[in-house]
Amino acid sequence: MGGLVASLPLVPIVVAVAIAILGWRSLTAWASAGSAFVILAVAVAASVWVVDQGPIVALGGEVRLDALGAVVLLLIGTVASITTTYATTYITREVTDGSATARRATWYGILVQVTLAALVVVVIADNLGVMWVAIEATTIATVLLVGHQRDSASLEASWKYLVLGSVGIATALLGTVLVYYVVRHSGVDVDAGLSWSQLVPVAGRLDASALRLPIGLVIVGYGTKAGLAPLHSWLPDAYSQAPAPVGGLLAGAVSAMSMYAIMRFTAIARPALGDTFIRNLLIIGAIASLVTAASFMLTQRDLKRLLAYSSVEHMGLIALGVAIGSPLAVSAALLHMIGNGTVKAVAFSTAGEVERHLGTTTLAHTRGLLDRDRFTGTTFALCLVALAGLPPFSLFASEVALVRAGLNDGLDWVIAIALAAMMVIFTALAVQAINVLTGPATNAPIDVPIESRAATVATRVPLVAGLVMVAVLGVTIWPISRLLEDAAAVLAP
Amino acid sequence: MNASRVAVTVVQVAFMIAISPFVVGVMRKVRARLEGRVGAPISQPWRDLRKLSRKQRMVSEHTSWVFSISPIVLVASTVTIAAVVPTLSTVAALAQVGDLFTVAYLLLLGTVFLALAGLDTATAFGGMGASRAMTVAAISEPTILVSIFALSVTAGSSNLGAIVTTTLDHPSSALSPESLLAFAALVVVVVAEAGRIPVDNPASHLELTMIHEAMVLDVSGPDLALVELSAHMRMVVLFGLLANLFIPWGVATSAAPGALAIALVAVLVKILGLGVVIAVVEVFLAKLRIFRVPELLAASFVLAFLAVTASFFLGEPA
Amino acid sequence: MSDTTFTQLLDLAVGTVVVASFAALWLRRLVGVINILAVQGVALAAVALLLGVHESEPELVAVALMVLVLRGLVLPGLIMRAVHTTGARAEVESLINVPSSLLAASVLTLFAYAVSRDLVALADTPHAQAMPLGIAVALIGILMLVTRRKAIMQISAILMLDNGIALVMFLGTSGVPVAVELGIASDVLLAVLVLQVLTFRIHLEFGGGDLDQLTELRD
Repeated sequence: MGGLVASLPLVPIVVAVAIAILGWRSLTAWASAGSAFVILAVAVAASVWVVDQGPIVALGGEVRLDALGAVVLLLIGTVASITTTYATTYITREVTDGSATARRATWYGILVQVTLAALVVVVIADNLGVMWVAIEATTIATVLLVGHQRDSASLEASWKYLVLGSVGIATALLGTVLVYYVVRHSGVDVDAGLSWSQLVPVAGRLDASALRLPIGLVIVGYGTKAGLAPLHSWLPDAYSQAPAPVGGLLAGAVSAMSMYAIMRFTAIARPALGDTFIRNLLIIGAIASLVTAASFMLTQRDLKRLLAYSSVEHMGLIALGVAIGSPLAVSAALLHMIGNGTVKAVAFSTAGEVERHLGTTTLAHTRGLLDRDRFTGTTFALCLVALAGLPPFSLFASEVALVRAGLNDGLDWVIAIALAAMMVIFTALAVQAINVLTGPATNAPIDVPIESRAATVATRVPLVAGLVMVAVLGVTIWPISRLLEDAAAVLAP
Repeated sequence: MNASRVAVTVVQVAFMIAISPFVVGVMRKVRARLEGRVGAPISQPWRDLRKLSRKQRMVSEHTSWVFSISPIVLVASTVTIAAVVPTLSTVAALAQVGDLFTVAYLLLLGTVFLALAGLDTATAFGGMGASRAMTVAAISEPTILVSIFALSVTAGSSNLGAIVTTTLDHPSSALSPESLLAFAALVVVVVAEAGRIPVDNPASHLELTMIHEAMVLDVSGPDLALVELSAHMRMVVLFGLLANLFIPWGVATSAAPGALAIALVAVLVKILGLGVVIAVVEVFLAKLRIFRVPELLAASFVLAFLAVTASFFLGEPA
Repeated sequence: MSDTTFTQLLDLAVGTVVVASFAALWLRRLVGVINILAVQGVALAAVALLLGVHESEPELVAVALMVLVLRGLVLPGLIMRAVHTTGARAEVESLINVPSSLLAASVLTLFAYAVSRDLVALADTPHAQAMPLGIAVALIGILMLVTRRKAIMQISAILMLDNGIALVMFLGTSGVPVAVELGIASDVLLAVLVLQVLTFRIHLEFGGGDLDQLTELRD
């Protein structure tokens, strides 16, 4: 099993090389989806293994996958499978209708695979430094993907994304380096170095007062990268200008990596620093994110930006879970991460369909979507229902668990503010959904271009499958309940 | 206060008065040669002073007593600086008051009176010159204070003589980052205080952006001679201070005539060396636009500030 | 090399890195700023070299060479090429004037010392004492990023931010494990490359590197 996990990043790399040689064509498009499915399959197998026999270790301890890693790897596999399958038709269409050159499609394929490889490395590396390098690599690769459309708006978005992302990630690096410094000078075994698995057991011996600044820097830095307010300003631009499948990948998986990094650092910092410092810092970010998302979603005029701000909201909720830090809160946060990631992958892909059929994602021009394009309209409606946190989707379950965990820990005021913001967001989503879906169609019904059966299947199956999965998880948590418990135990022993 | 110390002080002041016009003459000569001119003889500044002192004193009828006493205050403050700054010797009679704060405030006193004289004449140029001189002084005086303060942290005393002696005892401390930063800051400030390029052009009487010359346009005859002599002396004393703070070797630490003789030669070499370097650099520089002058001075203040920071945080005194 | 000489040379190199970041704020010409960054890179390499020689770690000496090539030569060279190919206008434009930037930078330096008191207290080596200066350089980089309105200047600012972090890395822990070091270096190189490409496209699209023109996306 260890060898399998350790060699997992090679799969996307091989596919990337194949795309580079052969170009973007039917075969390589499916190969790119194939590599995502391999990741998903390995993630499932590894999860089963981890629950049974504990962490998977390989390459002399350089590679390590524990329950927390397995959960995140599952998320990567799911999000990647949905978006890459959808992209097989999305990008191919762009090439046939001339809105993207063959060269650009090839680059798209390569960069997505590089991103996937980097995402996998983030999760399996037992080294905070390598983790940073891989997260930075995802940033650079996705910046180029955000600029895929090559117009002035996507250029602006990728500039902001790269500049702010670089600052965030540099802050995180500074924090990582300083954590290393504290470790080296705290009389802890030097061999521990940057390996989180060896740092966690000795974490209680680290110098608490010195650890404060580094951990603060790490949380602010990775928080910027995850899109926590108030350093989120790059996020709506990047998510909305990226090609639809990339938007899904960014919102679902890439932002989750930064949260994952924060979780790893809190596991190290909590024994030394205690709860208060980390909790306060994360709660500020969480509440700011929820309030920002609420205020911008009410007046949002663009569908993809609406989804982007919804990401800010859900990142805030995940941060809130990490802030509370009890086993219940952490497993709720992880479940929320999976739910949000999957729904975002579906929602952005659906937004891609809307864009293709209507030529725009401006909300005013998408009225009557349900009448004009029944499948896309229904999927989109279900996504909004899921994002608003309604049953049967798993986001309902995780939000309820979060609130309970917060109240258990006496964070009444924080939970009250969060709930108020969530109510506003719920209203915003409901209003937008009703306007978009049922409003009078300002235009005639659109005639959806007839496509081959295979293309239609490739477009629709991942969307439906994603929603079904989240719904199933909402009804019964059983398939991953033990994995979540184990993962929560990693963070909240 | 014993007699030998008084003697040392007198020698020091007399020496500064004597050499300052020559140093200016040498600097002008160097510039002229580099620019391909023959240039005036080295003794020209002396001759100018002599000529001016014989001329009639003309005072505008619109001026008050401030205008009349300004040259005297200026020269008096400058001579005092020359007496307290350890250029020749660290044991001069007034060495106890040779404090960095004394020097900074004496410098400011002279500058303020010169500016007042410029304002008093109520001419356009006088006012402009005064306002610019005050702008420069407002930033350069704190810089002098802060940068010498950085050095005094190492020495543990703000007495200039003590700082010089400490550097003599620990030669390596002259190369520490704080003293290099302070040196860089002081060079800029000395250039500004002395009215050299790139802050002011000493050779100009007809520029809209001139500073020193604008203030003294209405001063004439013996008054002008005093003002010019003080200007020369301020520059040379500052050169001497700068040189001794960072390369103190040769300065007399006793009142023995032999040590004084060595010190005379050493300080002359150091001052001339510094003067020549500055003159050569000036040839290659253009005067800064007047609104960039505060930026330059702010930069030097920041350097001085960094010097203090460094001296506090970087190392224990060597 | 005696301990005093080592400390003084180290302080000198660190001082150069810090003064270079102040000089970058002071200079008006883009080309001057980039040259200063190259100087900063060389000084940074000197820091690594000194530490490597002093602690006789050949790895660190190799890293010093890499830093010299990358931060002293390649990265400034890339930015310089962006200036030449885009014909960016030579003057820096700033939201706040130069004296205020310099004063802000000195306040940031003090701030860096203030926040890292507990960190410095952990170790009493001379290089750990100087570590806050690395944080200061990083902060000045961020200051430059926030106040300068040209694409080229923002790249330079990011480079300065990274130089500051590298300085902390060398002074605090004599570098991180070499594999991570290599990863960081290649990431920085890639980021600057991508930024350079984007700068070029911004110039094509907007006819100038002025980022105030990037106002299409807003809520």
